[in-house]
Amino acid sequence: MTDVLDLPWSEGKGQSTGAEYEAACRAVIARRNGEVHAFLHVTEPEAVDAGQETKQEQRLSRMPLGVKDNINVSSLPTTCGSRILGDFVAPRDATAIARVRAAGATILGKTNLDEFAMGSSTEHSAFGPTRNPWDLSRVPGGSSGGSAAAVAARMVPAALGSETGGSVRQPAAFCGVFGLKPTYGRISRRGLVAFASGLDQIGIISKTVRETAELLSVIAGRDPLDSTSSDREVEDYGSGTDAGIRRMRFGVVREAVENLDGEVLANFEQALTVLRDGGASVETVSIPSIPYSIAIYYVVANAEASANLARFDGIRYGKRSAASTIEEVYFSSRGEGFGEEVKRRIMLGTFALSSGYYDAYYSRAQEVRERLRADFDLAFQRFDLLLTPTTPEPAFAIGAKLADPLSMYLNDIFTAPANLVGIPAIAIPSGFSRDGLPLSLQMMGRHFDERSLFRAGAFFEGETGYWKRAPEFRNGSS
Amino acid sequence: MQITREEAARIAILAHLRFDEAGLDRMAAEMTGILTYIEQLTTAPAASAAVFAPPSAQPSFREDVPVGGIDRETVAANASGWGEGYFLVPRVLGD
Repeated sequence: MTDVLDLPWSEGKGQSTGAEYEAACRAVIARRNGEVHAFLHVTEPEAVDAGQETKQEQRLSRMPLGVKDNINVSSLPTTCGSRILGDFVAPRDATAIARVRAAGATILGKTNLDEFAMGSSTEHSAFGPTRNPWDLSRVPGGSSGGSAAAVAARMVPAALGSETGGSVRQPAAFCGVFGLKPTYGRISRRGLVAFASGLDQIGIISKTVRETAELLSVIAGRDPLDSTSSDREVEDYGSGTDAGIRRMRFGVVREAVENLDGEVLANFEQALTVLRDGGASVETVSIPSIPYSIAIYYVVANAEASANLARFDGIRYGKRSAASTIEEVYFSSRGEGFGEEVKRRIMLGTFALSSGYYDAYYSRAQEVRERLRADFDLAFQRFDLLLTPTTPEPAFAIGAKLADPLSMYLNDIFTAPANLVGIPAIAIPSGFSRDGLPLSLQMMGRHFDERSLFRAGAFFEGETGYWKRAPEFRNGSS
Repeated sequence: MQITREEAARIAILAHLRFDEAGLDRMAAEMTGILTYIEQLTTAPAASAAVFAPPSAQPSFREDVPVGGIDRETVAANASGWGEGYFLVPRVLGD
């Protein structure tokens, strides 16, 4: 008999009651979280009266969810993976959380992340790394590594993460699950702890397109308390996903693939064949400014981060170090509360905004970013969706890149452009390496055209079926 | 871009961060490496952009009506220093 947790949530819940499905998830968490360390905090089961199971179904009735620990869930910790928020308890729900709760979802816990979402491996969590369920000696990606690992390990059918430069798609790729970064403004950021406000977006990780589309339909939309949230109409993202891809036009980003070799390139070319066989056109397109994306990103994101994280000063909330002067409170609380990666980024951002360097770094980065946006606009005049591998390599070993920050940053080379220009993008499982590690295809769409991504994604996952494979927990106990 | 230890120390003060001597040297070296990589932007193709804003997110304002805040007890529960309805901090004036 198929384990209900291996099915898409909409099918699995049909074979069990909500209580049974949730209990199955909790059993996996109890069995696996010790070695995977996907969850930092697990909730207690809520008492459900007998009649509740038979009440009218809500859209997300008792859907168990993991939530990245930089998104506020009322009365639960929000640590951001940082010692400086080690004791912080969220006073209220983020807007996205309020919406999934109102639709019937159940929050099972808060998932691990790189401190303040700054990282690509989840090794920068103050509470220890998350491990990749496909190979416990490897990273799950980051910064939403806990959410991706939780979905891959079948602890939850879906989880919320956050994106600033690829922090949903890159871990989704490393863990062999589906990841969505929506259009900037599609989901309210209220209650998401700010890293870089002009780039941050809540994203969704799940096994399949269907679950993601359901969740997006619920949490998208205008929020009066986030002035950057869009008032554009929320579509029913689950409809039309079975339309196939005949006559869709895909553009392969030349600059992203010209230096690839080995099995990532071979896997990418196999993916293109699947799309061509489905009746789509697949052609190469040039986006000349895309190689500059990481340089742009690490100026803009760090500049915003240095300003946003100034609020953590030990005064109103968070860790306060013992000190006799107010200046000592600031320096000691931040010095002891932040980890090395966060300090590095605050330093870089402060430098880029400092007198004498602002024009050379921050202004210049914004100018090149504008060129990047123009290049994407031009490409979208010819193509419906743009394609790259999600990552240049499969999951790397724990510790392999910690000593070389730039090498870690370059892991986001294919994902950061979508954040910089504000477009939606998905990561979808596209196969496995010779070592049995997941590989992933990225599709990027026009602003607010999530439906085309879901349509193409549903076709691809239907043709390939890679989402059906579950990890065997190699290099760990069975 | 070469970041010296002195420059790193200056930035650390602006950022309200403290490093020991070894940490300052390490930070200066890492910043130098990353900023050298970023210097490729000086020769990159560009377009004018006084302020970049994603086209998807033209800020709009809500109705100017009060919304509920966080009650005082909840604020106090997360505070490191709290007394008689105020945040407690080291003395700033009147030493």
